[in-house]
Amino acid sequence: MKNRLVVSISDMKISRRPRDMLVTHSLGSCLGLAAYDPAARVGGLIHCLLPRAVGPNVENPYMYVNVGVPLMIRKLASMGCAKEGLVFKAAGCGRMNLIQNQFDTGAQNMAMLESLFTRNGVVLAAQDVGGTIPRTLMLDVETGKVTITSQGQEWEI
Amino acid sequence: MTLRDQIISRMEQLPQMPAPVMRIMAYLSKPDADLGELATAIEYDPGLTVNVLRMANSSFFGGAGGITTVRDALFRLGTRRVVQLVIASGVAPRTQPAVAGYKLNEGELLRHSIAVGTGAEVLARELGLRAPDYTFTAGLLCTIGKIVLGKFLEVDADQLLALSYNENIPFEEAERRLLGIDHAELGAMMLRRWELPAPIVNCVRWYLDPAAAPAEERDDALDLIHVGHVMATMAGIGQGLEGMRSTVCQECFDRLKLTQDAMIASMAQVVNALAEIEVILSRTGA
Repeated sequence: MKNRLVVSISDMKISRRPRDMLVTHSLGSCLGLAAYDPAARVGGLIHCLLPRAVGPNVENPYMYVNVGVPLMIRKLASMGCAKEGLVFKAAGCGRMNLIQNQFDTGAQNMAMLESLFTRNGVVLAAQDVGGTIPRTLMLDVETGKVTITSQGQEWEI
Repeated sequence: MTLRDQIISRMEQLPQMPAPVMRIMAYLSKPDADLGELATAIEYDPGLTVNVLRMANSSFFGGAGGITTVRDALFRLGTRRVVQLVIASGVAPRTQPAVAGYKLNEGELLRHSIAVGTGAEVLARELGLRAPDYTFTAGLLCTIGKIVLGKFLEVDADQLLALSYNENIPFEEAERRLLGIDHAELGAMMLRRWELPAPIVNCVRWYLDPAAAPAEERDDALDLIHVGHVMATMAGIGQGLEGMRSTVCQECFDRLKLTQDAMIASMAQVVNALAEIEVILSRTGA
């Protein structure tokens, strides 16, 4: 039986314990990003609400893609992960019907992640983003397997 | 008897508003309402008193702490604001149990409701607007119809979802087609039966589709609440079976002159304020 570590909205958790399963629920427009180092067997999971902060004061860095994701990567590196060995998988970034682009935080979250990764030469190994489904994202720390559950279905990405 | 009629009669069998809340609302409709008497009416109910004081002292509702009596709360926050807090704490616990039909676990419907009300209030501040007094309460009550429908949805939740996807229609449209009524209309009926003020009932009735509201039933609170609902849905707060399958009304965004930055800042504040308000409203106030 896996030990579920729940990552709430605007939060991030890292684990190296094989019995841990990192889980984040109900990704609407939020970005869920799993990072895993298969050699070190260390995993991290972040649940970002927004692409970037408005104004200079960032109370909670994990709320934002532009500061939260780099911080997670730094923390993974400090736990012995090789940055170039990390496998990243993204989920969420859903979109409500008829929302205009400027208010579509889901698309903006994904765009922010892509520009961050492009600048740093990181390739996303898998993604399951967009649409209207609510997603739960899970990372198995033992195997690095990333699973999505939604509306009674489950699949691996 | 149509399914719609069955659902409405099921709703009519639900209990009334908690008695102390009813008493206070009735009292308020009197033209010569006296602050001291109102304080006494609230203090008659210990649970309500505790909740009102907690909210009055919370940073979100503008209390800076140090409010120790209901009279003090009425004086510092104003009568109308306190009455809204009374309604909120009287009704909120109703939305706390799990709603199986919408695949909502215990506390999720309440969390979503709080996020809608909070979002509407926060957005008004962010935009420099004065939100009508009842905005938070109306936002909090928007999803109350789901409690009744949830009982029916246990039967055919998947059917509703399938219809929504197959026909590419919003989830509430699927509710109307299959059940003859959606949760917004049912919730508004219920609140009208509870004799809540018309502006609150109107917000609940039209929160998913403000464009459909008759002009005389539309106000700033409705626009703020609709955007509050959009923000809560996008944040995935208390998200049930239907996920993000409701439609955005751009007219509300336009009327409010909403900017991208104001929305981002508001969403951040909602998530930060949620825990504090949830703790207050999830204690038994009813």
